[in-house]
Amino acid sequence: MKRRNRWMWLGLVPFAFMVLAFQLAPILSMVTGSFSKIDGFGFTMDHYVKIFNSAYYLKAIKNSLLIAAYSSIVAIIVGLACAYSITRFTPSVRDRLLMISNMTSNFAGVPLAFAYIILLGNNGVFTLLFKQWGWNVFSGFDLYSWTGLVLVYVYFQVPLALLLLYPSFYGIREQWKEAAALLGARPWQFWRTVGLPMLTPSIFGTLGILFANAMGAYATAYALVGGNFNLLAIRIGSLVAGDVVNQPEVGSALAVILAVSTLLAVFLNHQMTKRSQRFTGTYAPKSNSSKERSLRARARAKEEAG
Amino acid sequence: MNMKPKVGWTHRSLLFLLMLYLLLPLVATGLYALATNWQTTILPESWTLNWFKDMFQDLRFLEALWTSFYLCLISVALSLVIMLPAVFVITVYLPKLESFMKGLVVLPYAVPGVVAAVGLIRTYSSGPIDIAGTAYILIGAYFVVVLPYMYQGIRNSLLTVSAVELLNAAEMLGAKRARAFVTIILPNIWPGVIISTLLSFSVLFGEFVVTNMLVGGHIHTIQVYLYQRVSESGHLASAIAISYFIFIMILSTILMRLGRKMNGGTQG
Amino acid sequence: MNKSYLELQGIRKKFGDSTVLNDVYLSIREGELVTLLGPSGCGKSTLLRCIAGLTELDGGRIVLGQQDLTNLAPRNREVGMVFQSYALFPNLTVSENIEYGLKMRGAGKKERANRSEELLALIDLEDKRDVYPQNLSGGQQQRVALARALAVQPKVLLLDEPLSALDAKIRKNLRTEIREIQKRLQMTTVFVTHDQEEALTVSDRICIMNKGNIVQDGTPEQLYSTPRTEFVARFMGSYNVLTRAEANRLFGDGIGTAESFALRPESVGLLGEGMNVGGDVPSADKRIVEGTVDSVNILGNVIRYFVDASGVRLTIDRLNDGRSPTAQANGKVRLALDPSQLLRLEKEGA
Repeated sequence: MKRRNRWMWLGLVPFAFMVLAFQLAPILSMVTGSFSKIDGFGFTMDHYVKIFNSAYYLKAIKNSLLIAAYSSIVAIIVGLACAYSITRFTPSVRDRLLMISNMTSNFAGVPLAFAYIILLGNNGVFTLLFKQWGWNVFSGFDLYSWTGLVLVYVYFQVPLALLLLYPSFYGIREQWKEAAALLGARPWQFWRTVGLPMLTPSIFGTLGILFANAMGAYATAYALVGGNFNLLAIRIGSLVAGDVVNQPEVGSALAVILAVSTLLAVFLNHQMTKRSQRFTGTYAPKSNSSKERSLRARARAKEEAG
Repeated sequence: MNMKPKVGWTHRSLLFLLMLYLLLPLVATGLYALATNWQTTILPESWTLNWFKDMFQDLRFLEALWTSFYLCLISVALSLVIMLPAVFVITVYLPKLESFMKGLVVLPYAVPGVVAAVGLIRTYSSGPIDIAGTAYILIGAYFVVVLPYMYQGIRNSLLTVSAVELLNAAEMLGAKRARAFVTIILPNIWPGVIISTLLSFSVLFGEFVVTNMLVGGHIHTIQVYLYQRVSESGHLASAIAISYFIFIMILSTILMRLGRKMNGGTQG
Repeated sequence: MNKSYLELQGIRKKFGDSTVLNDVYLSIREGELVTLLGPSGCGKSTLLRCIAGLTELDGGRIVLGQQDLTNLAPRNREVGMVFQSYALFPNLTVSENIEYGLKMRGAGKKERANRSEELLALIDLEDKRDVYPQNLSGGQQQRVALARALAVQPKVLLLDEPLSALDAKIRKNLRTEIREIQKRLQMTTVFVTHDQEEALTVSDRICIMNKGNIVQDGTPEQLYSTPRTEFVARFMGSYNVLTRAEANRLFGDGIGTAESFALRPESVGLLGEGMNVGGDVPSADKRIVEGTVDSVNILGNVIRYFVDASGVRLTIDRLNDGRSPTAQANGKVRLALDPSQLLRLEKEGA
C-alpha cells in the first residue's frame, strides 16, 4: 500500500512549488526585509523604531484600526438584525435576498468608490439635490472625509457580515425555541439565555474576519481619495510601489505590522470557530445520511464563499 | 423548514432598507451611465446609450478587457491544473495535511493584498528571478489569490460525493486508481469544480490591489483602466463600471444555477 | 464443503497507539455466511476492510482459496463489497453501476448487458435499469449495491453494516432477501453488524468481537444459549448477569467456582398467588424464591417483568399468550429457578 501511494506525492509537487514561490517566499522576504538595513545586510530594528517615533505613521495605524473597528461593529449590528430577518422569509425569498447580498459583495473597490462619488461626491447627485432643496443637515457631510470613508467601508462590510452570520442562525433550531417557550421563557429570554450564547462565537468570529477585511482594504480608499488619506494600507502602497519615494524597508515593516493585526483578527476567528464547533459538534448525532451531509456541506460552502 | 409564520412588517421594512442601501449605488451608477445629464433632479433629465457606444469604440477599453480576460483565464486554468490533483491527493490520501490547508482558507484575510504585494515585489524585483512588472509575477500572485476558493470548492465537492468511499467501491470492482479517478471522481465533482473555477474567475476579474501594485504601470486590466478613467468622464466610467458589474452578475447567476443543480443532483 | 476457504491468520492492526485488531484468527468455509458482531469500535469494520484490502495490515496473513491476498491490491482480490452508505456512483445509472466491475475487467458490451439483466432480475429492479441511484429509495439503492458487488462473481462477498441506514421494516425484509440470495448463489459472505437480532436471523455462524478480539464464535443457537463471557451474555440479549454473591443468594451453594453467572430471562418460572402464571410446575429440582414485581412491560408477544428477589433484580420474560393471568406491579410472586439453566461465565479475555 505504502509503495503504491508514492506517485501521489507527484501531484503535490507543482502545488507546493507555487505556494512556496508566491506565498511563503514573499512573506519571508517581507519579514526579513523589515529587519534588514537599507543596504540589504545585517539585522536592524531601525524601521520599526522609525515608524513608532513618527506621528505620521502612528496616525495611519490609528486611523486604520479605528476605521476597521467602527465599520466592523456597525456591520455586525446591521448584519445580525438582517440575518435574523432573512431567516423569517420563505426559502425562495430568502435565496433571492442572499443572492443580492452576495452580488453586492462583489461590488467593491474601484467601482464602489466610483458609485459613491456619483451619489455623494462634490458634484454627486444627492449632494446637489440636497443643496437645491436646502437640506442643510447634509451640508457638513464630506465623502472624502472620515465619515465618508466609514460609510463606504460599511457598505462592503455589511453583505459579508450577513453572509457569514446567517448560517449560524440556522444552527438555532426551531425546536429549542419551542422547548424554551414550553418551559416558560419569553422570546427575549430565550435569546438572552440560549440564542445569543449560541451565536456569540460566530459573532466574534465574524468580527475577526470583518476587522481583517477592513484593515487590509486598499482599493476602495485608494480609488476614493487617492494617496491622500492616511491609512496604513495606503501608506504601504505608496512606500512600496508609489510614485513619490520608494522606501521598501519601511514599507515592509508597515506591512508586517498590518499583517500582525490581521493575523490576530483571523486568529480570533479561528478560536471562535473552534468554540462554536464545540457547541454544534457534541449535539449533532453522527449522521450517515447523505442528504444531511450535503446540506451541511452546502452551508459550509456558503459560509466560506463569503 | 416547515411553513413559517407570516413575515412581520419589521422584518420586511428592515430588509427593504437593506436592499435599498445595497442597491442604491448600483442603480445610481446604472442611471448615470444612461444619462446625458444628471445633476439637480431625482432622475436624469434625458437618456442616451452614447456612453456605452463610446465605451465600445474606446480601443484602450477593449484592450483592457481582453487583457483581463486572458490573464484571468490563464491563471484560473493554471490553478485548476495544479489544484485538482493536489486537493484530491490531500483530501483522499493525506488528510493529515488538511489542518495546514485550512490555514489557506483564511489567507485572503490574514495576508491582505497589500501585504502580499509588498512581499512579491521584494522577492522578484531584483536578484536571480527578475520578473517584476511582468505577467508572470501577476499569474503567480493570482494563483495565490484564488487558492482558497479553488481549495474549498474542490474539497467540498469531494466530500459531498464521498469521494473516498466511491474510490474504494471502484477499486473493489477492479478499477485502477487513475481509471477510477477519471470515470467516477471527475464526472461527479465536475459541477462543483466548474463553480469554483467561475468563482475564481470573477474574483480575479475584480482584482485591483495586487494588480495595480505589481504591474499597474505596465499591464492595464479592466480594473486598472477603470481607475484611470474615474477622474476623466464620469458617465463613461459609469458605463464601464456597470458593464463590468453586469458581467459579474451573469457569472454569479450561472454559479447559482449550477450550484442548485449540483446540490439537487447529489442529494438522495 | 467443510474445508476452510477464507483464512485469516493472526490479523493485527493499530491506528496510532490504539490496537484495533489484536491477533485475529478466523476461518470461513465456502458458501458460509459469517457475521462479525460487536459494539461500535470493536474492530469488526476494520477487519472487513482488511479482507477487502482497503486497510493495510500490521501483521498476519489473509488466504483465499489457494491464494495469499495479503499484499494484493483490492482490485486483484476478487472480493466484492457492499458499503454502509452503498457508495453507488451518482453519475452512472443503475445498470451502468452494475456493469462497472465487468467493464473494468474488459468484458464486452453484450456480456455486460446480459449479466446486468440477470442481476436486475435477481434484485427485482428490472424497471429501474436506466434510473440514477439518487432517484431510488434507500432499500432499492441497497439492492443495487448488492447486485453491483455480485456482478463480477467475487469469491467472497463483504457486507459492511448494509442495513443500518434503512427503516426497521425495510431492514427486516431486506435481510431475509439478502440471506436468500446468498443461499441461492452459495456465496461465501462476511456480514458486519452491531444488531444481534440481525446477526441471529441471517448467519450460519456468528463471531462476537470486542476490543479487537473475537471473544466467541459459533452458530446462532450456540451463542444465544451458551454465552461464555459476561460481555457476550449482555450483548446477545437481556440475560441476567449475576455476581457470585447474587447467585449464591438465589441458588444457594454448590454453583461452582465461576465469578459471574448468566440466567436467561425466559428460563425463570413465575408463580402468582396460588397459581402458575407461566404454567410452570414447581418440582423438586427447582428452587422457589420469593420476590416482588417492580414493573411490568408488555413487549408485544412477550411480557417482561422486573422482579426484586432477595435483593437481586431479575428480568423475567413470559410469553404473552393471553391465557395466563399476568402478575401486577408491586405484587408478590414466587420464582421457580432451575439450577441447570444457570450458566457459568468465564472471565473476560480468558
